[in-house]
Amino acid sequence: MGRVGLGSDAEMGKALEGKDAMTLKLSADRQLGFLLAVNVVIVLIATAWSKGQFVSTDNLQSMANQVPELGLLAIGVMLAMVSGNGGIDLSGTALANLAGVIAALATPALYSAETAPVAYAATFVATALAVGLLGGASNGLLIARIGLTPILATLGTSLLFTGIAVVLTNGSTVRIGDVEPLAAIGGETLFGVPIGFLIFVMATVLLACVLRHSSYGVRLYLMGTNPKAARYAGISLSGMLLATYAISGTLASMAGVLIASRTASVKWDYGSSYLLITILIAVMAGVRPSGGYGRISCLFFSATALQVLSSTFNVVGISNFFRDCAWGLLLLLFLASSGMNFGRVRHR
Amino acid sequence: MTRKQRLSLIAAAATASLVSVGAIQAQGKDVTIATVVKITGINWFNRMEVGVKEFGEKTPGTKTFQTGPGQADAAQQLRVIEDLVAKNVDAITVVPFDPPSLEPILKKAMDKGIKVVTHEADNQRNTMVDLEAFDNAAYGARLNDRLAECMGKSGKWTSFVGSLGSQSHVQWADGGAANASKKFSGMKLVDAKNESGNDANKAYEKTKEILRKHPDIKGFQGSSSLDVLGIGRAVEEAGLQGKTCVFGTGLPNDSAKFLETGAIDGISFWDPKDAGFAMNKIAKMLLDGKTVQNGMDLGVKGYNQVSVSKGPGNGIVVKGQAWVDVDKANYKQYPF
Repeated sequence: MGRVGLGSDAEMGKALEGKDAMTLKLSADRQLGFLLAVNVVIVLIATAWSKGQFVSTDNLQSMANQVPELGLLAIGVMLAMVSGNGGIDLSGTALANLAGVIAALATPALYSAETAPVAYAATFVATALAVGLLGGASNGLLIARIGLTPILATLGTSLLFTGIAVVLTNGSTVRIGDVEPLAAIGGETLFGVPIGFLIFVMATVLLACVLRHSSYGVRLYLMGTNPKAARYAGISLSGMLLATYAISGTLASMAGVLIASRTASVKWDYGSSYLLITILIAVMAGVRPSGGYGRISCLFFSATALQVLSSTFNVVGISNFFRDCAWGLLLLLFLASSGMNFGRVRHR
Repeated sequence: MTRKQRLSLIAAAATASLVSVGAIQAQGKDVTIATVVKITGINWFNRMEVGVKEFGEKTPGTKTFQTGPGQADAAQQLRVIEDLVAKNVDAITVVPFDPPSLEPILKKAMDKGIKVVTHEADNQRNTMVDLEAFDNAAYGARLNDRLAECMGKSGKWTSFVGSLGSQSHVQWADGGAANASKKFSGMKLVDAKNESGNDANKAYEKTKEILRKHPDIKGFQGSSSLDVLGIGRAVEEAGLQGKTCVFGTGLPNDSAKFLETGAIDGISFWDPKDAGFAMNKIAKMLLDGKTVQNGMDLGVKGYNQVSVSKGPGNGIVVKGQAWVDVDKANYKQYPF
């Protein structure tokens, strides 16, 4: 997957001077190296502590099943951050829940779960993704056309999505019941790898290719680095922002499908603790909150690092209160080791 | 060291560790029972942990421990249980934050042969035994009776729940509402079932809102053990101790301060220690191949003659009579 967006000096001569590119290359290596090392070290420690039980098939599958929800939401946050302009997406979890709620309420009207489970599951997924796309697009419209600051816009839409979900469900959980194809998405494995995890990996690879090789990707990083220069270069800022937040919304709705599959139910307040965790994953992946820099490979390993640390606590039996403490420590170590400069890239 | 060398060193270390732990130690004969609570760190579940540990100490061949999420989020509780199922514990006893969201994982646990016991979740389908301290509707009605007497059987009142998904809380609130509408026509329920998220601060904020909206409100019925604390604090701040009646589930030590000043008029509870002990005892019985019969004595105070009924799934619901009513006069008898 490698470096995305800021490739060789010759390619990206417009965005950076030579010296800055070298600094970025060195720090980028250190980021990915640190994250890989952290993953390995935590797994080793946990394996030793639990006498090998940590790397049993059951536990590996269980961890692989838990990563995708947070991972997909974190990719959405990353894209929003990379797009610059103080970009962030706070409405991910709320949109995920709303997508699940609308899908769970609308699908039974079209297909019955008992007689046509496959059609039911397909409709469910399609409805959820559509809601995600629309929700994300509405974020994009608020930010691009109306010009709201992303943090305020997505905070507002987060409350709006939550409110709609509460009203539609009267505040209670909506059971989905036993729909095999839908439960398979979040529960079954393919060659021993959970399907949800495969979806996460596929999304990561797909977006890595898009960000590196497509014109959208190149423009996204340019826009994030310097919006003014991007505008003068002819990049349509509002179009790009709309697309970015729409993608983020779709990823959130995919997370919503996974949630619905794993819990066989939908509720408006599921995952209320997820928001800060997804932002943590993005920041610990080295994504610059000011825009213009972020690597999906680092995001992938950042998500897995937090997951293995969290699972270690549960498997070994440490109180969950120390989890937040440990994550904070990990973040500080990451920032220290990568020598990150979170300010704007300086131009000479 | 070049980048390539570094990466290959990491890969070698990883492979070595995986190979070296191929020899997993043989399991001891102790059975492990894991108790998962709604949220760790609040007094209610700290008290439950006392009972959980006590059962492990008193029962040979049994290891017990309690765990739970650090935040009030059904997603976090699900993750804790998933990790325990992956760890292959012998039995899981759980106080579900949101029973429907745990259906798939509990089914998976039972399919793996793990015994499942729940508490405060009589709408849980995928469980073997759901333990209830008492009949929930009756408990709610009792709280409401005491509230009504304090209110002089008339006036506005409201209710609180930890979450609209917390089955037992909703049953108490609904039980209270049904009781009031049946017996006390002078009582008017406003803004029922306010959510406190099992957080005293949220309950406090909500109560302030309600006091602003209904300045003449007379009664509060809380559900979560933290509700009465938040409500009492708001009532005391507003100086309305004498004019309002606050009743709800609560623990004596936490509520002592407000019971003395009259901000809280009365609390009820069931000893979480006994519930934790009973849950683990039932789990051990299931592991030994036995089940709970109607009228059985579980050997725990309040569960000396349990009634057994069919649950919504394939399991049973076991009810005790374990309520305790406490007010300013007798709260000192209970040291928790």
